[in-house]
Amino acid sequence: MSYKSNYIVGSIPLDRLKPKRVRKNIELTLWERLYVPEIIRGMYITTRHLIINLIGFVFPPQGKKRKIFTVYYPEEKLTIHVAYRGRPVLVQREDGKEKCVACGLCERICPALAISIVGGERENKERYPVTYTLDMSRCVYCGLCEEVCPHEAIVMSDEYIGLAEYDRKNMIYPKEKLLVPIAKLKNRIEYVRKIYGKSNYEL
Amino acid sequence: MTDLAKNLHTEHMVINMGPSHPVTHGTVKFLVTLDGETIVDFDVEIGYLHRGFEKMCENSTWEQVFPYTDRLNYLSPIINNVGYALAVEKLIGIDTPERCKYVRVIVSELSRLADHLTNVAASGLELGAFTAFLYFVEARDLIWDLLESVCGARLTSNYIRIGGLKNDLPDGFKEHTREVFKRCRELWIDVDKLLTKNRIFLDRLRDVGIMPPDEAIAWGFTGPCLRASGVPYDVRKAQPYLVYDQIDFEIPIGEKGDNFDRYLVRMEEINQSMRIVEQALDKLPDGPINVDMPEYRWQSKDDIYTKIESLIFHFKTVTGGIRVPPGEVYFPVEGANGEVGFYLVSDGSGKPYKCRVRPPCFPLTAAMPRMIKGALIADIVPTFDMIHMIGGECDR
Amino acid sequence: MIAELIEAIAKILFVFGVNVGFFAPILGWVERKQSAAMQDRVGANRADIFGFTLIGLLHPLSDTIKLITKEDFIPAGANKFFHTLAPFISLTPALITFAVIPFGGQYEIFGHRVNLVVADLDVGILFIFAFASLATYGVVLAGWSSNNNWSFLGGLRAAAQMLSYEVAMGFSIIGIIMVYGSLKLTEIGAMQADFFRWGIFLQPIGFILFLTCAIAENKRAPFDIPEAETEIVAGYFTEYSSMKFIMFWMGEFLEVVTISGIVVTLFLGAWHLPFISNESLLSLFGFAGPNGSIILLMLTNIATFFGKIIFMIWFQMTIRWTLPRFRYDQIMKLGWKILLPISLINIFITGLVVLLK
Repeated sequence: MSYKSNYIVGSIPLDRLKPKRVRKNIELTLWERLYVPEIIRGMYITTRHLIINLIGFVFPPQGKKRKIFTVYYPEEKLTIHVAYRGRPVLVQREDGKEKCVACGLCERICPALAISIVGGERENKERYPVTYTLDMSRCVYCGLCEEVCPHEAIVMSDEYIGLAEYDRKNMIYPKEKLLVPIAKLKNRIEYVRKIYGKSNYEL
Repeated sequence: MTDLAKNLHTEHMVINMGPSHPVTHGTVKFLVTLDGETIVDFDVEIGYLHRGFEKMCENSTWEQVFPYTDRLNYLSPIINNVGYALAVEKLIGIDTPERCKYVRVIVSELSRLADHLTNVAASGLELGAFTAFLYFVEARDLIWDLLESVCGARLTSNYIRIGGLKNDLPDGFKEHTREVFKRCRELWIDVDKLLTKNRIFLDRLRDVGIMPPDEAIAWGFTGPCLRASGVPYDVRKAQPYLVYDQIDFEIPIGEKGDNFDRYLVRMEEINQSMRIVEQALDKLPDGPINVDMPEYRWQSKDDIYTKIESLIFHFKTVTGGIRVPPGEVYFPVEGANGEVGFYLVSDGSGKPYKCRVRPPCFPLTAAMPRMIKGALIADIVPTFDMIHMIGGECDR
Repeated sequence: MIAELIEAIAKILFVFGVNVGFFAPILGWVERKQSAAMQDRVGANRADIFGFTLIGLLHPLSDTIKLITKEDFIPAGANKFFHTLAPFISLTPALITFAVIPFGGQYEIFGHRVNLVVADLDVGILFIFAFASLATYGVVLAGWSSNNNWSFLGGLRAAAQMLSYEVAMGFSIIGIIMVYGSLKLTEIGAMQADFFRWGIFLQPIGFILFLTCAIAENKRAPFDIPEAETEIVAGYFTEYSSMKFIMFWMGEFLEVVTISGIVVTLFLGAWHLPFISNESLLSLFGFAGPNGSIILLMLTNIATFFGKIIFMIWFQMTIRWTLPRFRYDQIMKLGWKILLPISLINIFITGLVVLLK
């Protein structure tokens, strides 16, 4: 469709712009003027959805529990992709100690200033966080702490339930509440290794 | 009779459509002076969602700004991320690999889809067509599932990094996208049949909120509202960034500049966005997605665990921020609402000296009185809907 | 004498019971579930008694309990008398107009003529219009007596809309009256025994006009500007809570049933089945003896009537959930400039056809 206008901004050629007129008619056509045909067409569309959904209640399509889009939370839950960023958790090694070495990178990168770490040393010269508090009322679940951690010590789990509390003091999670054994976090740690792997980087 | 006429008070009624009103999505206050139902005067007050974005950026390092940019235009967060990243990359002077550019285009267009679907759905809801709202919300939910499989969250994506992306597309993304688009196209056809030719809907939207093209340019309009007035300007075509010059798509133009044109432009842009994503998925090259410059982009975990130089760079860039050379840059990106521009000033340290966002809906909201004076109170609803002011972006 | 009294009380109880006891709660359920099925979602189904949810049928019960136990307030500065009176004026026409709608024909049972209508008035249709106009007062009083700008706007809009559409509604019925030659609803119903003498075939334009005007009278979408929740919060019943709110709401739902009843009686063949006449039904039920077959015929007719009402209710619900809302001046334009001339033309054409036959 050829396009003539006074408003070619910036002298960009028309074959690069490729404008497409969307308004077919300024005045109403006869079909639109009569209210009734379009109303009947609209009602046909909603009635079609109604009948498909009603049949879908009785005979659900294969592979799914029901035809409609709704998920019956809390009886059914959505299947979460492995990439989902739930609440941050500290990884607990098999011997019960945390992997974290209190380097302070997650504390530094957190945009919401939710993490506070006090570092210390054990007898065998191993660094560990004496206190590690994550203020869940400040956390924005951005995942930057997981990205910068050099030891895979903090990962975003897939938990999103049960994070509400009645008292604001309970929202400050100490280290004990954040520890999760490494056996439960295998999926996420593998995913983290894959997405930050060497193949993503140019040589 | 004359006593009655003397006692009849006819004065203008001032109504406050306050920050919390069902029709003002985003928090904005309208002070409407009514004469019966005609609007005599219209006053807009914004700023109820001001969170100090620019001040917060001055106190964070260059990478910590990304979660903040998510929350600017919270319906299409990736486009804000992309705009900021491209601005910083222009300031530094680095160029990302090809695959990174294609993936950025794909996720930007998915975000734009979500934004346009929300806009048309919300305007259907506020005009009383509840069914159109729910069909498009179903489509938007499917798009958000796609975005969740890519970056981990539906709204606060935090996906783009300076010099690349956070992670690559997951396996099976192409097939998943194909299924989602099939369902989205079905729902688009349904809503089109429900709304576009319906005389009731047409009467609500036509000839209301007209903005002629020269005035639109004078006010500073960009985006779908400018294109609805008849001016063919799109940042993706005028100043192409990423790989938009290699992808074939059209930009829809309106005729009159009224609300119906804006609606048609947005509906057509939904189709064009789907076309762009499919073309980009076909042309997607293999390869790396991050640039391998440890002073600007955090290295891979294999390197950090094993090499000491990577670890040192990692620590330096995380704690002190990346060192961007001093200078200033302005980079415009086509957001869902218009031209989102990032103006960055750097003084050579690890934190931005100034990070200013050009909000595309600021001039649109400022032009509301011009568009609505003389119309009825019931016209505020479709006009404000089609302007699509997003509080997070207008107030920052 | 006693038999007639018992018959009258039975009919009143039946109509009242069906309306308030069955239709009003069921309509609340239908609205939620039908709209949910049209919009690919589930609807409300969580209210349960001992774990039985009954696909959401208990929600009207829980709504009623909730609304009864809410605080009933009158806003400061409001006119107490009118504020309390308005819901009653709004509810009464919806209940009363069902008195003249026949839900069956005339039958001879045990030597006694039974006429299945509560009040067989000679001026049936006029009675309906008279009472439907009274509903305007309720809305206007509600809007004015709450001390609120938004309610005031809603009351103004409602008054203008309801008055305009009453005129067109009256004119659209004149065609039917000319064709059938009577104002009595029972006679009009009886004359539609043959499928091709149904009102919808004789007066198609009248059907569309009457349906539109009746939905506008009822203030349901797409004509629900008096209560448009996105423009003026909740319109004229912003300041109402608990029982008064439920009265407004129930009045609206009952008027849906009443409108369905009138449309079915005038246009859709009242209590007759499409191609099966009463005589063939009588011979079908011959196994039960003379009185029994008439009782079965009576039950079939009542069931057909209510089945058609349910179809019309479904139709109105579909219209509500499909169409967007009009603007205020477009409603006025539609009522005065489009529907009124069309109804006058309808009368003219009907008159010509009746004269030439």
